[in-house]
Amino acid sequence: MGDLTVQLEQQIQHAYATKTPLKIRGGNTKASLGRETSGEAMDMADHSGVISYSATELVVRARAGTKISLLNDLLAEQHQRLPFEPPSFAGEATIGGTVAANQTGASRPWFGGVKDSLLGLGLINGYGEVMQFGGQVMKNVAGFDVTRLQCGAMGSLGLITDVSIKVLPEFKAGHTLTFDMTIEAALEAMLKWANLSLPITGMSHFKGLLYVRLQGGAGGVASASTFLGGEKLASKAAEIFWQAIREGSFLQPRHDQTLWRWSGASDTLANTVPNTSLINWAGAERWVLTEALDTPLEGLVQYQGGDRLAEVYGAISAPQQALQQRIKHAFDPHGILNAGRLYAWM
Amino acid sequence: MNSLLNASNKPPHEGVIDVSTFVSALQKILPVGAVILSKEGQRPFECDGLTVYQQLPLVTAMPETVDQVQAILRLSHLHGLPLVPRGAGTGLCAGAMPHAEGLLLVLTKLNQIVHVNHKTCTATVQPGVRNLALTEAVAPFGLYYAPDPSSQIACTIGGNVAENSGGVHCLKYGLTVNNLLQVTMVTIEGEIMTLGGAGLDEPGMDLLSLMVGSEGLLGVVVEAKVKLLPRAPRVQVLVAAYDTVTAAGDAVAALIGQGIIPAGLEMMDHLAISAAEDFVKVGYPTDAQALLICELDGTDAEVEEQLLLVCECFKQHGAHHIRIAKDAAEAAALWQGRKAAFPAVGRISPDYYCMDGTIPRSQVGYVLTRISELSQFYGLRVANVFHAGDGNLHPLILFDASIDGELEQAELLGGDILTLCVDVGGTITGEHGVGLEKMPQMPYQFGDAELAQFRRLKAAFDSEELLNPGKAIPTLKYCQEYRSLQHG
Ligand SMILES: Cc1cc2nc3c(=O)[nH]c(=O)nc-3n(C[C@H](O)[C@H](O)[C@H](O)COP(=O)(O)OP(=O)(O)OC[C@H]3O[C@@H](n4cnc5c(N)ncnc54)[C@H](O)[C@@H]3O)c2cc1C
Repeated sequence: MGDLTVQLEQQIQHAYATKTPLKIRGGNTKASLGRETSGEAMDMADHSGVISYSATELVVRARAGTKISLLNDLLAEQHQRLPFEPPSFAGEATIGGTVAANQTGASRPWFGGVKDSLLGLGLINGYGEVMQFGGQVMKNVAGFDVTRLQCGAMGSLGLITDVSIKVLPEFKAGHTLTFDMTIEAALEAMLKWANLSLPITGMSHFKGLLYVRLQGGAGGVASASTFLGGEKLASKAAEIFWQAIREGSFLQPRHDQTLWRWSGASDTLANTVPNTSLINWAGAERWVLTEALDTPLEGLVQYQGGDRLAEVYGAISAPQQALQQRIKHAFDPHGILNAGRLYAWM
Repeated sequence: MNSLLNASNKPPHEGVIDVSTFVSALQKILPVGAVILSKEGQRPFECDGLTVYQQLPLVTAMPETVDQVQAILRLSHLHGLPLVPRGAGTGLCAGAMPHAEGLLLVLTKLNQIVHVNHKTCTATVQPGVRNLALTEAVAPFGLYYAPDPSSQIACTIGGNVAENSGGVHCLKYGLTVNNLLQVTMVTIEGEIMTLGGAGLDEPGMDLLSLMVGSEGLLGVVVEAKVKLLPRAPRVQVLVAAYDTVTAAGDAVAALIGQGIIPAGLEMMDHLAISAAEDFVKVGYPTDAQALLICELDGTDAEVEEQLLLVCECFKQHGAHHIRIAKDAAEAAALWQGRKAAFPAVGRISPDYYCMDGTIPRSQVGYVLTRISELSQFYGLRVANVFHAGDGNLHPLILFDASIDGELEQAELLGGDILTLCVDVGGTITGEHGVGLEKMPQMPYQFGDAELAQFRRLKAAFDSEELLNPGKAIPTLKYCQEYRSLQHG
């Protein structure tokens, strides 16, 4: 634990000079995401620790190797939380990896994704230059938004050294309701309820049950609960369910299976994404587990399993591919940072 | 206004551009009347909301279709002619100020709401749709578009995307970037590109967010898919008056620190309160040194719960007068004073200059005290109206441009306020953008490495620097001159 910025900077400068590919690793919990790559290991786990945390400003700033579990504990002491509910993967996931892989939990449609809480970050580009973008304040439009650009970039544009995140108060009350419903009925119900300004923070469908999580002030939650009806889930069971959703533990692909992720409009009909195993985000995210190794499913991302040397994120248009290559070059001219992790051509 | 600025406002292909060939090709793309060449015809476009910066363009084009936009960009690219996109021109940083040797691309005729999906609470709109027109169009579905700049009656969604605009409801519901799903843009080569998607998080780097706030430097937005929100069943507005701005600032920090995030939380200081009250007569307490305007929304139960906590917190921090709106009409009146604050200040001074720094909430008291010291030093009055919940300040510097040197003094005072914001850990702009205006402060906020990274990023989109050149991102030469001035 500590500030390793100088070592990290030197390692990248050396790699730049020698054109050595680097493979960035935080808690090593996301090795199964993205494409398989090789390179000299660049370990971030020891570059960790909270730099500052002001509960009244609702901002925490931590080094990239800081564990999500540690942040959750720290915030809980002040009755606060990370708004985007990221997975902690057995306590090992780091905040840097979470930002790079854009990992968001069940509250995504209501409390936003990583980018919606991200205020600023430190970045070392492929030249080995240490830079800071954004900051610790709530609104900041000076310069291009290099901060949010990193969300989902899988470390291909720079090594994230620290992040500043907006935090929110813990909910005062909450519980989960379940409804016995087919996928079709659940999709319709979710669409209807999402329109109603209710204190909903999660809507997922799994194995014939629709789970609706309500969180907020005690009064607001109670009245919404009466309005919606359904079965109230015991609090321990609810906690286990939402934890499994967050950690992705319901759908862990075996070695001969592939897990696919679909992302789209929440009113997309059930049969558009056949064989859906789990619906999250009120219908905007759907998961399909297949037995076959690499039959690509049109429009779906090959999330985990299957051939990890394939273009797991799918194809993009030629002009956009060219643009992304130029952007990559603008940050990392020798292509040394996580080369090929996002796309084979990047 | 500033010799450094003028230096960077040069066309990259100087001397090579064949203007008459360009114009006749342009006239083949667009219908008669959509190409404006006369001085009188172009006069309305010579500046944006920051009127002290003015410049007539070479030619103005008003396309009506995306195909025309593509053709115009291709033509500009072919001829190496600078191109400045423009929405309604309400910007406050001279971002849409025309280029003397370039084309001004006015997008207000692309003003169709293409599609509203009330089921998914989304709308697809062309860039020239006015912000308020969108909210009005979706009102029958019980929906609204959350980012609501005070200029919402006029400003366009394209301009909002380009500036990442906010409004009084951004505290709870976010800025433009937080309410956008997808953008279709045209690159300088005339290529159509879609960023983001129908879902919430698309795989790969977040180009959509990069495009937001890029001030017309990376591409021209021709369509946006935005999120809409259901209207809350209950909206409650209240105002609280304080004897000092510091007490009001502390009340804001305490409220947010307690975990209460109102839908809006605004502050006005004494000068702004009086000006607004004189203008709209809504019964603001004119003896107060600071006024907080707070809006809570949600279900009845939620609002009742919060209202008690808010009133208690405001009183604890010394509010001597709290007024809770009894109905929608009174709520609207209480907001009206805030929303009309800029024009109200415009009535008590021949000119005013609006700043946009953002600071950590805990610094509000200190920064406002420093601003009042600076105001005395420069001998210019400053009225403060701002998004207190976000720490986004809008000091309005009052001056008279007809008095020799007063504009320059106002600019110096403004510059001092911006560097003060950076010094306390904030930024030079929270929502209005850098444009031409805040170029001098960019090297103060960013180091050379960051600025060079911005330039390389710009080059990845527009290597010839044709899109809105001379704005937002200072050139290397500009930064070197800036640094030598600082050290010299
Ligand atoms: C009285 C008043 C109150 C205001 N209040 C607020 C406020 O509360 N919050 C806030 O955030 N702002 C506020 N503003 C500033 C301004 O209204 C916003 O910046 C607004 O988003 C600008 O929109 P516009 O259509 O007028 O854009 P313009 O001023 O025409 O352009 C702004 C920038 O966007 C670029 N641009 C425009 N359209 C496109 C496009 N389609 N593609 C690419 N680039 C484009 C231009 O090149 C320029 O750089 C206020 C302004 C005024 C005059």
